[in-house]
Amino acid sequence: MTDMMIETRNLTKKYKGTPAVDALNLAIPRGEIYGFLGPNGAGKTTTIRMLLGLIKPDSGVVQIFGQDLKRERIKILRRVGSLVEYPSYYGHLNAVENLETIRRILNVPKSRIDEVLHTVGLTKDAKRSVKGYSLGMKQRLGIASALLGSPELLILDEPTNGLDPSGILEIRELIKKMPQQQGITVLVSSHLLSEVEQMASSVGIVNQGKMVFQDSIPNLQRKAGSEIHIALSDPDAAMITAREQGCFPRLDQGRLVFKGIDNGQIARLVAALVDARHSIYRVEERRKSLEDLFLTMTSGASNANSERHEASAPRAAGLRKEAAQ
Amino acid sequence: MIGKLLVTDLLKMRRTGIWWVVMVGSVGLTAMQALNFGLRYDYLVHDAYASNPWGGLIESTGVFVPIAIYLAMTLLMSMIANIENRQNSWKQTLALPVRRSQVFASKFLSCLIQLLAACVLLTVSTLILGLVLKLPGPIPYMELATFGFYPMLASLPMLGVMLWLTLTVRNQAIPIALGIAASLTSVFGASMPELLPLSWPALAIHSGQTMRFVGLGIGVFAVLYLLGSLHFSRKDVA
Repeated sequence: MTDMMIETRNLTKKYKGTPAVDALNLAIPRGEIYGFLGPNGAGKTTTIRMLLGLIKPDSGVVQIFGQDLKRERIKILRRVGSLVEYPSYYGHLNAVENLETIRRILNVPKSRIDEVLHTVGLTKDAKRSVKGYSLGMKQRLGIASALLGSPELLILDEPTNGLDPSGILEIRELIKKMPQQQGITVLVSSHLLSEVEQMASSVGIVNQGKMVFQDSIPNLQRKAGSEIHIALSDPDAAMITAREQGCFPRLDQGRLVFKGIDNGQIARLVAALVDARHSIYRVEERRKSLEDLFLTMTSGASNANSERHEASAPRAAGLRKEAAQ
Repeated sequence: MIGKLLVTDLLKMRRTGIWWVVMVGSVGLTAMQALNFGLRYDYLVHDAYASNPWGGLIESTGVFVPIAIYLAMTLLMSMIANIENRQNSWKQTLALPVRRSQVFASKFLSCLIQLLAACVLLTVSTLILGLVLKLPGPIPYMELATFGFYPMLASLPMLGVMLWLTLTVRNQAIPIALGIAASLTSVFGASMPELLPLSWPALAIHSGQTMRFVGLGIGVFAVLYLLGSLHFSRKDVA
């Protein structure tokens, strides 16, 4: 309990009667990179704003470093670095001046400015006015501002939003290094599961203001399970061969799909198929992608049986979901 | 902490042109009078204000002081607020370990410093103008020092409203429209009932009860400031 960096209990915020965040219980242990995941409009940003004291919860408690945010806000915020949604910056100032406005308040030595600029790789452009920065550079400046006070907890809301692939990669590498190098706990929100999967060590998934899953990434992946896909010349005939071997595949776009099958069974099956003169093109393991799992979880129980359909067209399903919001 | 905030606020104002507004506002008033006195020197100095040329200079400048102060309060406050509003930097500023009431106070102080600077500039530039014009008679230092300052204090309620509006409303068109309307109306301040705060800066110069209107201005401002600060401290930051 004491090692929880962030803990919320029954955190609730309503806008005109509709809950944006509904009885949310968040628990983030020290040293983790916690991926805070949910579709657009799930209440991630609202939650993060409440964690930073920018908006007041209607009910519930926020504890950071084991202290009550309502009572110890200033003390807590001194140890927290944050970047909320799009980066905030003063366009008419250069990077050093931007950081200076924050440095004065945090009361850290001037050398920290050079350090954080070096960390995010902006040293070269430090004297240019921020107006002319690309979005990626502004985002990095935002992270530099968050790091300036040597925080123990870093709260980043959608830090890779709107960045190009190389920018995303850079920021991801930057975030991944933090717990190891500086012992910082990171809360990073995203609506992209692939993003979170690549950097987080544990994950919380919210939908419609409610927490639907909270555990470590490996546990999430275990939940996802795996399937063996076999592509071959004559799938219909191969079905019969497979049944003779005691396996019961389903047919999916000319491939045999096996669920919950162990190594020995696969070996015997492939041998049998070769004996039956099938041309085997591919034998591949497919994890149900986390995206599918995510969609299953966030779309509730009603869609649980349409899993197969979503698995074949996760992108389309995602689009439809967004349109529905 | 308030000192640190003030330093950062002044730092944020670099290259925003805010200090130009301060300069142009006060020196502009004097330039107008330079033109006036330059063109009609003989009439004004030897005829209209012959008995008290320095007083004449101060009075003709003073007519435009209320409108200038109201405009300055509107423009300066919206520029100050705009620094944070433009890139929605409030969420960054207020997520720092600072009290919101102090952030509010710091914004007020930066505007007050600018207004005071404008008053000083007005005093100095008017003095220089008088000297350049070689106005006869003793130099009324006291009046020169206060003819911008007192009306400024009497118009503080406007600053209270502007502080509140510019710092809490995202759409700056609303406070700016209100401020410009108020400054235009204030031209007729001297002929308005004294119940209207808009008349106070003019009355502070003309009524002979300067301290009464200065006191009223500060009193009403204090109430508005407290309300604004309270609201600012409690509101949700989007």
